[in-house]
Amino acid sequence: MKAFEYVGATSVDQAVKALTPGSAPLAGGTDLINRMKDYVTSPERVVYLNDVKELAGISGDAASGVTILAGTRLAEILASEVVKSAYPALWQTTSEVATPQIRNMASLGGNLFQHPRCWYYRSGFGLVPKTTDGKHMLREGDNRYAAIFMTDGDALYVHPSSLAVPLIALGAKATLVGPEGERTVEVEELYKVPTSNSESPFATKPGEILKSVTIPASKGKNASYEARHKQAHDWPLVMASVNLTFSGETVSDARVVVYGVAPVPWRSKAAEEAIKDKVITVESARSAGEAAAAGAKPLSMNGFKVSMLKTVITRALCTSAGNKYWEA
Amino acid sequence: MRDNVTDPNAASRRDFLRGSSVAAATAVLTQTAQVGMDEAAAEALATQQISAQSGTISVTLQVNGKALKTEIEPRSTLLDVLRHRLDVTGPKRVCDRGSCGACTVILDGQAVYSCTTLAISSQGKTIRTLESFDTGEGGVPHAFHQNDGLMCGYCTPGFVTACQALLEKNPNPTLEEVKKGLDGNICRCGTYVGVIQAALDAAKAIKV
Repeated sequence: MKAFEYVGATSVDQAVKALTPGSAPLAGGTDLINRMKDYVTSPERVVYLNDVKELAGISGDAASGVTILAGTRLAEILASEVVKSAYPALWQTTSEVATPQIRNMASLGGNLFQHPRCWYYRSGFGLVPKTTDGKHMLREGDNRYAAIFMTDGDALYVHPSSLAVPLIALGAKATLVGPEGERTVEVEELYKVPTSNSESPFATKPGEILKSVTIPASKGKNASYEARHKQAHDWPLVMASVNLTFSGETVSDARVVVYGVAPVPWRSKAAEEAIKDKVITVESARSAGEAAAAGAKPLSMNGFKVSMLKTVITRALCTSAGNKYWEA
Repeated sequence: MRDNVTDPNAASRRDFLRGSSVAAATAVLTQTAQVGMDEAAAEALATQQISAQSGTISVTLQVNGKALKTEIEPRSTLLDVLRHRLDVTGPKRVCDRGSCGACTVILDGQAVYSCTTLAISSQGKTIRTLESFDTGEGGVPHAFHQNDGLMCGYCTPGFVTACQALLEKNPNPTLEEVKKGLDGNICRCGTYVGVIQAALDAAKAIKV
Protein backbone atom coordinates (compact mmCIF):
# COMPACT_ATOMS: atom_id res chain seq x y z
CA MET A 1 0.00 0.00 0.00
CA LYS A 2 1.07 3.58 -0.56
CA ALA A 3 2.32 5.65 2.37
CA PHE A 4 -0.20 8.00 3.98
CA GLU A 5 -0.33 10.36 6.90
CA TYR A 6 -2.36 9.24 9.88
CA VAL A 7 -4.72 11.12 12.16
CA GLY A 8 -6.01 9.27 15.20
CA ALA A 9 -9.23 11.19 15.87
CA THR A 10 -10.58 11.30 19.42
CA SER A 11 -13.73 13.36 18.74
CA VAL A 12 -16.26 13.75 15.93
CA ASP A 13 -15.29 17.41 15.57
CA GLN A 14 -11.63 16.49 15.16
CA ALA A 15 -12.46 13.77 12.63
CA VAL A 16 -14.57 16.10 10.48
CA LYS A 17 -11.83 18.75 10.49
CA ALA A 18 -9.15 16.21 9.64
CA LEU A 19 -11.10 14.78 6.70
CA THR A 20 -9.69 17.17 4.10
CA PRO A 21 -9.95 16.33 0.36
CA GLY A 22 -7.86 13.25 -0.40
CA SER A 23 -8.51 11.76 3.05
CA ALA A 24 -10.25 8.51 3.86
CA PRO A 25 -12.05 7.65 7.10
CA LEU A 26 -10.86 4.37 8.63
CA ALA A 27 -12.92 2.34 11.09
CA GLY A 28 -12.44 -1.44 11.45
CA GLY A 29 -10.25 -1.49 8.35
CA THR A 30 -11.67 -4.73 7.00
CA ASP A 31 -12.53 -3.03 3.69
CA LEU A 32 -10.31 0.06 3.38
CA ILE A 33 -7.01 -1.58 4.35
CA ASN A 34 -7.56 -4.33 1.79
CA ARG A 35 -8.37 -1.75 -0.89
CA MET A 36 -5.21 0.18 0.00
CA LYS A 37 -3.12 -3.01 -0.21
CA ASP A 38 -4.50 -3.64 -3.69
CA TYR A 39 -3.98 0.01 -4.75
CA VAL A 40 -7.71 0.35 -5.47
CA THR A 41 -7.87 3.26 -3.00
CA SER A 42 -4.77 5.28 -2.12
CA PRO A 43 -5.66 8.13 0.25
CA GLU A 44 -3.12 10.78 1.16
CA ARG A 45 -4.45 10.82 4.69
CA VAL A 46 -6.25 8.25 6.82
CA VAL A 47 -8.41 9.43 9.72
CA TYR A 48 -8.94 6.67 12.26
CA LEU A 49 -12.42 6.73 13.79
CA ASN A 50 -12.68 3.56 15.86
CA ASP A 51 -11.20 5.23 18.95
CA VAL A 52 -13.80 8.02 18.92
CA LYS A 53 -15.76 7.13 22.05
CA GLU A 54 -18.71 9.41 21.24
CA LEU A 55 -19.28 7.33 18.07
CA ALA A 56 -19.86 3.98 19.79
CA GLY A 57 -22.95 2.70 21.53
CA ILE A 58 -26.61 1.75 21.27
CA SER A 59 -29.44 3.61 23.03
CA GLY A 60 -33.24 3.59 23.09
CA ASP A 61 -35.82 0.82 23.24
CA ALA A 62 -38.36 -0.96 21.08
CA ALA A 63 -41.19 1.40 22.05
CA SER A 64 -39.43 4.64 21.12
CA GLY A 65 -36.85 3.49 18.57
CA VAL A 66 -33.18 2.65 18.78
CA THR A 67 -30.14 4.73 17.83
CA ILE A 68 -26.95 2.92 16.89
CA LEU A 69 -23.88 5.14 16.67
CA ALA A 70 -21.76 4.68 13.56
CA GLY A 71 -18.66 3.32 15.31
CA THR A 72 -20.56 0.55 17.09
CA ARG A 73 -18.92 -2.79 16.27
CA LEU A 74 -21.09 -5.46 14.70
CA ALA A 75 -20.35 -7.73 17.70
CA GLU A 76 -21.90 -5.07 19.97
CA ILE A 77 -25.03 -4.94 17.79
CA LEU A 78 -25.29 -8.72 18.20
CA ALA A 79 -24.93 -8.37 21.97
CA SER A 80 -27.86 -5.91 22.12
CA GLU A 81 -30.98 -7.51 23.61
CA VAL A 82 -33.24 -4.82 22.18
CA VAL A 83 -31.93 -5.35 18.64
CA LYS A 84 -32.32 -9.11 19.02
CA SER A 85 -35.89 -8.96 20.30
CA ALA A 86 -37.35 -5.97 18.44
CA TYR A 87 -35.41 -5.97 15.16
CA PRO A 88 -34.68 -9.63 14.32
CA ALA A 89 -34.28 -8.66 10.63
CA LEU A 90 -31.19 -6.62 11.57
CA TRP A 91 -29.93 -9.02 14.24
CA GLN A 92 -30.14 -12.07 11.97
CA THR A 93 -28.33 -10.29 9.13
CA THR A 94 -25.61 -8.97 11.45
CA SER A 95 -25.02 -12.47 12.84
CA GLU A 96 -24.35 -13.71 9.31
CA VAL A 97 -21.84 -10.97 8.37
CA ALA A 98 -18.37 -12.34 7.65
CA THR A 99 -16.61 -13.89 10.67
CA PRO A 100 -16.29 -13.40 14.46
CA GLN A 101 -13.01 -11.54 13.96
CA ILE A 102 -14.52 -9.18 11.39
CA ARG A 103 -17.61 -8.61 13.55
CA ASN A 104 -15.23 -7.64 16.40
CA MET A 105 -13.45 -5.12 14.16
CA ALA A 106 -16.04 -3.79 11.72
CA SER A 107 -18.32 -0.89 12.56
CA LEU A 108 -21.88 -0.17 11.44
CA GLY A 109 -20.64 2.87 9.47
CA GLY A 110 -17.95 0.84 7.75
CA ASN A 111 -20.47 -1.80 6.76
CA LEU A 112 -22.83 0.78 5.26
CA PHE A 113 -20.01 2.55 3.41
CA GLN A 114 -17.96 -0.43 2.25
CA HIS A 115 -17.15 -0.43 -1.44
CA PRO A 116 -18.65 -2.96 -3.85
CA ARG A 117 -17.03 -6.39 -3.98
CA CYS A 118 -17.21 -6.67 -7.78
CA TRP A 119 -14.00 -8.40 -8.85
CA TYR A 120 -13.40 -5.99 -11.72
CA TYR A 121 -13.65 -3.06 -9.32
CA ARG A 122 -11.32 -4.79 -6.84
CA SER A 123 -8.85 -5.39 -9.68
CA GLY A 124 -8.67 -1.67 -10.40
CA PHE A 125 -11.06 -1.32 -13.35
CA GLY A 126 -13.59 0.87 -11.54
CA LEU A 127 -17.28 0.51 -10.77
CA VAL A 128 -18.16 0.76 -14.48
CA PRO A 129 -15.38 -1.50 -15.79
CA LYS A 130 -14.82 -1.33 -19.53
CA THR A 131 -12.13 -2.64 -21.86
CA THR A 132 -10.15 -0.23 -24.02
CA ASP A 133 -12.48 -0.99 -26.93
CA GLY A 134 -15.52 -0.09 -24.82
CA LYS A 135 -16.85 -3.51 -23.87
CA HIS A 136 -18.41 -3.71 -20.40
CA MET A 137 -16.39 -6.27 -18.45
CA LEU A 138 -19.33 -7.40 -16.32
CA ARG A 139 -21.85 -7.54 -19.16
CA GLU A 140 -19.50 -9.49 -21.42
CA GLY A 141 -17.40 -11.23 -18.79
CA ASP A 142 -17.97 -13.27 -15.64
CA ASN A 143 -21.14 -11.80 -14.17
CA ARG A 144 -22.41 -14.70 -12.06
CA TYR A 145 -22.76 -12.54 -8.93
CA ALA A 146 -23.86 -9.33 -10.67
CA ALA A 147 -27.17 -7.48 -10.72
CA ILE A 148 -30.46 -8.65 -12.21
CA PHE A 149 -32.28 -5.31 -11.85
CA MET A 150 -31.27 -1.96 -13.38
CA THR A 151 -29.14 -3.88 -15.88
CA ASP A 152 -30.06 -1.50 -18.71
CA GLY A 153 -27.62 0.91 -17.07
CA ASP A 154 -23.84 0.61 -16.75
CA ALA A 155 -23.57 -0.10 -13.01
CA LEU A 156 -23.95 -3.88 -12.94
CA TYR A 157 -22.28 -4.72 -9.61
CA VAL A 158 -24.38 -5.48 -6.54
CA HIS A 159 -24.54 -3.30 -3.47
CA PRO A 160 -22.23 -4.83 -0.83
CA SER A 161 -23.80 -3.80 2.50
CA SER A 162 -26.07 -6.49 3.89
CA LEU A 163 -26.96 -4.31 6.90
CA ALA A 164 -28.35 -1.55 4.69
CA VAL A 165 -31.08 -3.97 3.59
CA PRO A 166 -32.80 -4.59 6.96
CA LEU A 167 -32.19 -0.97 7.98
CA ILE A 168 -34.06 0.30 4.90
CA ALA A 169 -36.82 -2.25 5.49
CA LEU A 170 -37.12 -0.95 9.07
CA GLY A 171 -37.35 2.64 7.82
CA ALA A 172 -34.11 3.71 9.51
CA LYS A 173 -32.68 7.19 9.18
CA ALA A 174 -29.00 8.07 8.97
CA THR A 175 -27.46 11.16 10.56
CA LEU A 176 -24.42 12.47 8.73
CA VAL A 177 -21.98 15.02 10.11
CA GLY A 178 -19.69 17.13 7.96
CA PRO A 179 -18.11 20.56 7.58
CA GLU A 180 -21.59 22.09 7.12
CA GLY A 181 -23.02 20.44 10.22
CA GLU A 182 -25.45 17.59 10.69
CA ARG A 183 -28.24 16.35 8.44
CA THR A 184 -30.53 13.36 8.60
CA VAL A 185 -31.61 11.31 5.58
CA GLU A 186 -33.27 7.97 4.93
CA VAL A 187 -30.69 5.16 4.84
CA GLU A 188 -31.64 4.47 1.21
CA GLU A 189 -30.69 8.05 0.35
CA LEU A 190 -27.06 7.33 1.26
CA TYR A 191 -26.58 5.55 -2.05
CA LYS A 192 -26.68 6.42 -5.72
CA VAL A 193 -25.87 4.67 -8.95
CA PRO A 194 -22.72 5.87 -10.71
CA THR A 195 -22.77 6.14 -14.49
CA SER A 196 -18.99 6.38 -14.88
CA ASN A 197 -15.82 5.52 -12.97
CA SER A 198 -15.40 9.10 -11.78
CA GLU A 199 -18.67 9.04 -9.83
CA SER A 200 -19.14 7.87 -6.26
CA PRO A 201 -21.66 5.20 -5.26
CA PHE A 202 -22.45 7.30 -2.17
CA ALA A 203 -24.71 10.35 -1.98
CA THR A 204 -22.72 11.94 0.84
CA LYS A 205 -21.15 15.39 0.57
CA PRO A 206 -17.34 15.82 0.71
CA GLY A 207 -16.00 15.36 4.23
CA GLU A 208 -19.21 13.89 5.62
CA ILE A 209 -19.16 10.84 7.86
CA LEU A 210 -21.96 8.80 9.34
CA LYS A 211 -22.75 9.69 12.92
CA SER A 212 -25.64 7.40 13.75
CA VAL A 213 -28.54 5.34 12.46
CA THR A 214 -31.94 5.59 14.12
CA ILE A 215 -34.49 2.81 13.73
CA PRO A 216 -38.10 3.80 14.44
CA ALA A 217 -40.22 2.01 17.03
CA SER A 218 -40.98 -1.59 16.24
CA LYS A 219 -44.70 -1.81 15.40
CA GLY A 220 -45.16 -5.06 13.54
CA LYS A 221 -43.02 -7.98 12.52
CA ASN A 222 -39.72 -8.04 10.68
CA ALA A 223 -37.43 -10.76 9.41
CA SER A 224 -34.59 -11.53 7.01
CA TYR A 225 -33.78 -14.61 4.99
CA GLU A 226 -30.63 -15.11 2.97
CA ALA A 227 -29.37 -17.58 0.39
CA ARG A 228 -25.61 -18.06 0.32
CA HIS A 229 -22.80 -20.31 -0.87
CA LYS A 230 -21.08 -20.91 2.46
CA GLN A 231 -22.25 -20.91 6.06
CA ALA A 232 -19.51 -18.47 7.04
CA HIS A 233 -17.29 -15.77 5.71
CA ASP A 234 -19.28 -14.85 2.67
CA TRP A 235 -21.77 -12.31 1.50
CA PRO A 236 -25.30 -13.47 0.76
CA LEU A 237 -26.04 -14.30 -2.86
CA VAL A 238 -29.53 -12.91 -2.45
CA MET A 239 -31.20 -11.81 0.78
CA ALA A 240 -34.55 -10.27 1.65
CA SER A 241 -35.59 -8.22 4.66
CA VAL A 242 -39.26 -7.58 5.31
CA ASN A 243 -40.98 -5.27 7.77
CA LEU A 244 -44.74 -5.60 8.15
CA THR A 245 -47.44 -3.82 10.08
CA PHE A 246 -50.78 -5.52 10.54
CA SER A 247 -54.42 -4.65 10.80
CA GLY A 248 -55.78 -7.68 12.56
CA GLU A 249 -54.46 -10.64 10.61
CA THR A 250 -53.88 -8.81 7.34
CA VAL A 251 -50.81 -6.83 6.31
CA SER A 252 -51.61 -3.11 6.31
CA ASP A 253 -48.16 -1.92 5.29
CA ALA A 254 -45.11 -3.78 3.99
CA ARG A 255 -41.55 -3.01 3.17
CA VAL A 256 -39.58 -5.58 1.18
CA VAL A 257 -35.90 -4.87 0.48
CA VAL A 258 -33.53 -7.21 -1.34
CA TYR A 259 -29.74 -7.63 -1.30
CA GLY A 260 -27.67 -8.92 -4.19
CA VAL A 261 -29.88 -7.98 -7.13
CA ALA A 262 -29.02 -4.34 -7.95
CA PRO A 263 -26.30 -1.71 -7.44
CA VAL A 264 -28.38 -0.31 -4.58
CA PRO A 265 -30.41 -2.10 -1.88
CA TRP A 266 -33.44 -3.07 -4.00
CA ARG A 267 -36.82 -2.07 -2.66
CA SER A 268 -39.41 -4.33 -4.26
CA LYS A 269 -42.56 -2.23 -4.53
CA ALA A 270 -44.13 -5.07 -6.52
CA ALA A 271 -43.72 -7.50 -3.62
CA GLU A 272 -44.96 -4.87 -1.16
CA GLU A 273 -48.12 -4.32 -3.21
CA ALA A 274 -48.65 -8.05 -3.61
CA ILE A 275 -48.61 -8.83 0.12
CA LYS A 276 -50.63 -5.78 1.22
CA ASP A 277 -54.11 -6.57 2.57
CA LYS A 278 -53.25 -10.29 2.63
CA VAL A 279 -52.87 -12.75 5.45
CA ILE A 280 -49.33 -14.19 5.43
CA THR A 281 -49.55 -17.75 4.17
CA VAL A 282 -47.06 -19.75 2.13
CA GLU A 283 -49.26 -19.09 -0.91
CA SER A 284 -49.54 -15.32 -0.45
CA ALA A 285 -45.81 -15.11 0.31
CA ARG A 286 -45.05 -17.05 -2.89
CA SER A 287 -47.23 -14.66 -4.89
CA ALA A 288 -45.23 -11.74 -3.49
CA GLY A 289 -41.99 -13.46 -4.50
CA GLU A 290 -43.34 -14.02 -8.01
CA ALA A 291 -44.41 -10.38 -8.23
CA ALA A 292 -40.92 -9.24 -7.21
CA ALA A 293 -39.31 -11.15 -10.05
CA ALA A 294 -41.32 -9.37 -12.74
CA GLY A 295 -39.06 -6.97 -14.57
CA ALA A 296 -35.80 -8.71 -13.60
CA LYS A 297 -33.31 -8.72 -16.47
CA PRO A 298 -30.49 -11.07 -15.54
CA LEU A 299 -27.15 -11.03 -17.34
CA SER A 300 -25.60 -14.01 -19.15
CA MET A 301 -24.60 -16.01 -16.03
CA ASN A 302 -26.88 -14.97 -13.17
CA GLY A 303 -30.36 -16.16 -14.09
CA PHE A 304 -30.24 -18.31 -10.94
CA LYS A 305 -30.72 -15.15 -8.88
CA VAL A 306 -34.28 -14.77 -10.18
CA SER A 307 -35.38 -18.01 -8.51
CA MET A 308 -33.38 -17.12 -5.40
CA LEU A 309 -35.13 -13.75 -5.29
CA LYS A 310 -38.54 -15.45 -5.23
CA THR A 311 -37.42 -17.90 -2.56
CA VAL A 312 -35.82 -15.41 -0.16
CA ILE A 313 -38.85 -13.10 -0.27
CA THR A 314 -41.21 -16.02 0.30
CA ARG A 315 -39.16 -17.32 3.22
CA ALA A 316 -38.55 -13.90 4.79
CA LEU A 317 -42.31 -13.25 4.78
CA CYS A 318 -43.05 -16.70 6.22
CA THR A 319 -40.29 -16.26 8.86
CA SER A 320 -41.95 -13.03 10.01
CA ALA A 321 -45.15 -15.04 10.52
CA GLY A 322 -43.24 -17.73 12.41
CA ASN A 323 -43.70 -20.35 9.68
CA LYS A 324 -40.39 -21.94 8.70
CA TYR A 325 -42.08 -24.50 6.45
CA TRP A 326 -38.80 -25.50 4.73
CA GLU A 327 -37.33 -26.74 8.01
CA ALA A 328 -40.22 -29.11 8.69
CA MET B 1 12.25 -17.59 20.15
CA ARG B 2 10.81 -16.61 23.53
CA ASP B 3 14.01 -14.71 24.34
CA ASN B 4 13.75 -12.70 21.17
CA VAL B 5 10.25 -11.66 22.17
CA THR B 6 11.50 -10.17 25.41
CA ASP B 7 14.30 -8.33 23.62
CA PRO B 8 13.24 -7.08 20.20
CA ASN B 9 16.81 -6.01 19.47
CA ALA B 10 18.26 -9.47 19.87
CA ALA B 11 19.84 -10.79 16.71
CA SER B 12 17.88 -13.32 14.71
CA ARG B 13 17.60 -14.52 11.15
CA ARG B 14 15.00 -11.81 10.69
CA ASP B 15 17.56 -9.10 11.31
CA PHE B 16 19.29 -10.07 8.11
CA LEU B 17 16.07 -9.70 6.11
CA ARG B 18 15.23 -6.49 7.93
CA GLY B 19 18.59 -4.90 7.11
CA SER B 20 17.99 -5.17 3.39
CA SER B 21 14.45 -3.79 3.56
CA VAL B 22 15.42 -0.73 5.62
CA ALA B 23 17.47 0.68 2.74
CA ALA B 24 14.52 0.35 0.38
CA ALA B 25 12.09 1.81 2.91
CA THR B 26 14.33 4.85 3.52
CA ALA B 27 14.36 5.66 -0.18
CA VAL B 28 10.57 5.63 -0.28
CA LEU B 29 10.29 7.78 2.83
CA THR B 30 12.56 10.48 1.47
CA GLN B 31 10.42 10.70 -1.63
CA THR B 32 7.26 11.06 0.42
CA ALA B 33 8.80 13.80 2.53
CA GLN B 34 9.72 15.79 -0.57
CA VAL B 35 6.14 15.77 -1.81
CA GLY B 36 5.17 17.15 1.57
CA MET B 37 2.01 19.03 2.41
CA ASP B 38 0.99 22.22 0.64
CA GLU B 39 1.10 25.41 2.70
CA ALA B 40 -2.64 25.94 2.89
CA ALA B 41 -3.17 22.45 4.23
CA ALA B 42 -0.37 22.91 6.75
CA GLU B 43 -1.88 26.17 7.95
CA ALA B 44 -5.34 24.62 8.20
CA LEU B 45 -3.86 21.83 10.28
CA ALA B 46 -2.12 24.22 12.63
CA THR B 47 -5.27 26.21 13.33
CA GLN B 48 -7.35 23.09 13.93
CA GLN B 49 -4.75 21.46 16.17
CA ILE B 50 -4.87 18.15 14.41
CA SER B 51 -1.74 16.13 14.60
CA ALA B 52 -1.04 14.05 11.52
CA GLN B 53 1.72 11.48 11.67
CA SER B 54 3.81 10.32 8.73
CA GLY B 55 7.19 8.83 7.95
CA THR B 56 8.89 6.73 10.59
CA ILE B 57 7.22 6.77 13.98
CA SER B 58 8.44 5.38 17.30
CA VAL B 59 5.76 3.39 19.06
CA THR B 60 5.40 1.19 22.11
CA LEU B 61 3.11 -1.81 21.82
CA GLN B 62 1.86 -3.87 24.76
CA VAL B 63 2.47 -7.40 23.55
CA ASN B 64 1.92 -10.37 25.87
CA GLY B 65 2.36 -8.21 28.93
CA LYS B 66 5.57 -6.55 27.78
CA ALA B 67 6.04 -3.02 26.49
CA LEU B 68 7.94 -3.37 23.22
CA LYS B 69 9.38 -0.32 21.46
CA THR B 70 9.92 -0.20 17.74
CA GLU B 71 9.73 2.03 14.69
CA ILE B 72 6.89 1.75 12.22
CA GLU B 73 5.13 3.65 9.44
CA PRO B 74 1.44 4.55 9.58
CA ARG B 75 0.78 1.93 6.90
CA SER B 76 2.47 -0.92 8.83
CA THR B 77 -0.01 -3.61 9.74
CA LEU B 78 0.01 -5.03 13.24
CA LEU B 79 0.86 -8.45 11.79
CA ASP B 80 3.95 -7.24 9.94
CA VAL B 81 5.19 -5.26 12.95
CA LEU B 82 4.72 -8.25 15.26
CA ARG B 83 6.51 -10.63 12.91
CA HIS B 84 9.16 -8.49 11.27
CA ARG B 85 9.96 -5.92 13.93
CA LEU B 86 9.21 -7.62 17.23
CA ASP B 87 9.93 -11.27 16.41
CA VAL B 88 6.52 -12.33 17.66
CA THR B 89 6.04 -14.91 14.95
CA GLY B 90 3.05 -16.87 16.28
CA PRO B 91 0.51 -15.02 14.11
CA LYS B 92 1.03 -16.15 10.51
CA ARG B 93 0.83 -14.15 7.29
CA VAL B 94 -1.20 -16.23 4.85
CA CYS B 95 -3.87 -14.38 2.85
CA ASP B 96 -2.99 -10.90 4.19
CA ARG B 97 -6.57 -9.84 3.34
CA GLY B 98 -8.57 -10.74 6.45
CA SER B 99 -9.89 -13.91 4.85
CA CYS B 100 -8.11 -16.88 6.44
CA GLY B 101 -7.63 -16.20 10.15
CA ALA B 102 -3.99 -17.34 10.44
CA CYS B 103 -3.00 -13.88 11.71
CA THR B 104 -5.58 -13.81 14.54
CA VAL B 105 -4.48 -12.00 17.71
CA ILE B 106 -6.45 -10.91 20.79
CA LEU B 107 -6.67 -7.11 20.90
CA ASP B 108 -8.23 -5.71 24.08
CA GLY B 109 -9.92 -9.06 24.64
CA GLN B 110 -11.34 -9.40 21.12
CA ALA B 111 -10.10 -11.77 18.44
CA VAL B 112 -9.14 -9.68 15.39
CA TYR B 113 -7.21 -10.13 12.16
CA SER B 114 -3.82 -8.47 12.69
CA CYS B 115 -3.24 -8.29 8.91
CA THR B 116 -6.04 -5.74 8.53
CA THR B 117 -5.29 -3.82 11.73
CA LEU B 118 -2.82 -0.95 11.64
CA ALA B 119 -0.03 -1.12 14.21
CA ILE B 120 -0.31 2.61 14.82
CA SER B 121 -3.95 2.16 15.89
CA SER B 122 -2.93 -0.61 18.29
CA GLN B 123 -0.94 1.67 20.60
CA GLY B 124 -2.27 1.68 24.14
CA LYS B 125 -4.20 -1.55 23.57
CA THR B 126 -3.48 -4.95 25.01
CA ILE B 127 -2.16 -7.31 22.34
CA ARG B 128 -2.06 -11.02 23.10
CA THR B 129 -0.67 -13.68 20.80
CA LEU B 130 -0.52 -17.43 21.33
CA GLU B 131 3.02 -17.12 22.70
CA SER B 132 1.34 -16.07 25.96
CA PHE B 133 -1.09 -19.00 26.23
CA ASP B 134 -0.90 -21.76 28.82
CA THR B 135 0.80 -24.71 27.12
CA GLY B 136 0.10 -27.04 30.05
CA GLU B 137 -2.58 -29.71 30.21
CA GLY B 138 -5.35 -27.22 30.97
CA GLY B 139 -4.59 -25.02 27.96
CA VAL B 140 -5.89 -24.74 24.43
CA PRO B 141 -2.60 -25.74 22.68
CA HIS B 142 -2.55 -29.03 24.61
CA ALA B 143 -6.10 -29.83 23.51
CA PHE B 144 -5.08 -29.32 19.86
CA HIS B 145 -2.14 -31.66 20.40
CA GLN B 146 -4.29 -34.34 22.04
CA ASN B 147 -6.91 -34.21 19.28
CA ASP B 148 -4.48 -34.09 16.37
CA GLY B 149 -6.09 -30.75 15.51
CA LEU B 150 -3.60 -30.01 12.74
CA MET B 151 -2.09 -31.47 9.61
CA CYS B 152 0.35 -29.05 7.97
CA GLY B 153 -0.08 -26.79 11.01
CA TYR B 154 0.09 -23.42 9.33
CA CYS B 155 -3.44 -22.39 10.30
CA THR B 156 -3.03 -23.76 13.84
CA PRO B 157 -1.79 -20.59 15.62
CA GLY B 158 -4.82 -18.72 14.27
CA PHE B 159 -7.20 -21.49 15.32
CA VAL B 160 -5.64 -21.74 18.80
CA THR B 161 -5.96 -17.96 19.25
CA ALA B 162 -9.55 -17.85 17.97
CA CYS B 163 -10.38 -20.79 20.24
CA GLN B 164 -8.79 -19.07 23.27
CA ALA B 165 -10.78 -15.88 22.56
CA LEU B 166 -13.98 -17.89 22.14
CA LEU B 167 -13.53 -19.73 25.45
CA GLU B 168 -12.73 -16.52 27.32
CA LYS B 169 -16.08 -15.11 26.19
CA ASN B 170 -18.05 -18.34 26.34
CA PRO B 171 -16.43 -20.89 28.69
CA ASN B 172 -19.08 -23.53 28.03
CA PRO B 173 -19.82 -23.51 24.28
CA THR B 174 -22.10 -25.95 22.49
CA LEU B 175 -20.93 -27.68 19.32
CA GLU B 176 -22.85 -25.09 17.27
CA GLU B 177 -21.28 -22.22 19.19
CA VAL B 178 -17.79 -23.67 18.63
CA LYS B 179 -18.46 -23.94 14.90
CA LYS B 180 -19.80 -20.38 14.75
CA GLY B 181 -16.99 -19.08 16.97
CA LEU B 182 -14.27 -20.56 14.76
CA ASP B 183 -15.95 -19.44 11.52
CA GLY B 184 -13.23 -16.88 10.92
CA ASN B 185 -10.44 -19.41 10.41
CA ILE B 186 -9.76 -21.68 7.49
CA CYS B 187 -7.84 -24.98 7.42
CA ARG B 188 -7.09 -26.02 3.85
CA CYS B 189 -5.98 -29.49 4.98
CA GLY B 190 -9.52 -29.83 6.31
CA THR B 191 -8.84 -31.06 9.82
CA TYR B 192 -11.90 -29.35 11.26
CA VAL B 193 -13.10 -32.43 13.17
CA GLY B 194 -9.94 -32.39 15.32
CA VAL B 195 -10.07 -28.61 15.76
CA ILE B 196 -13.69 -28.63 16.92
CA GLN B 197 -13.07 -31.51 19.33
CA ALA B 198 -10.00 -29.67 20.66
CA ALA B 199 -12.12 -26.61 21.38
CA LEU B 200 -14.73 -28.70 23.22
CA ASP B 201 -12.05 -30.54 25.21
CA ALA B 202 -10.24 -27.32 26.07
CA ALA B 203 -13.50 -25.91 27.42
CA LYS B 204 -13.77 -28.90 29.79
CA ALA B 205 -10.08 -28.77 30.76
CA ILE B 206 -10.17 -25.07 31.58
CA LYS B 207 -13.14 -25.54 33.90
CA VAL B 208 -11.41 -28.24 35.96
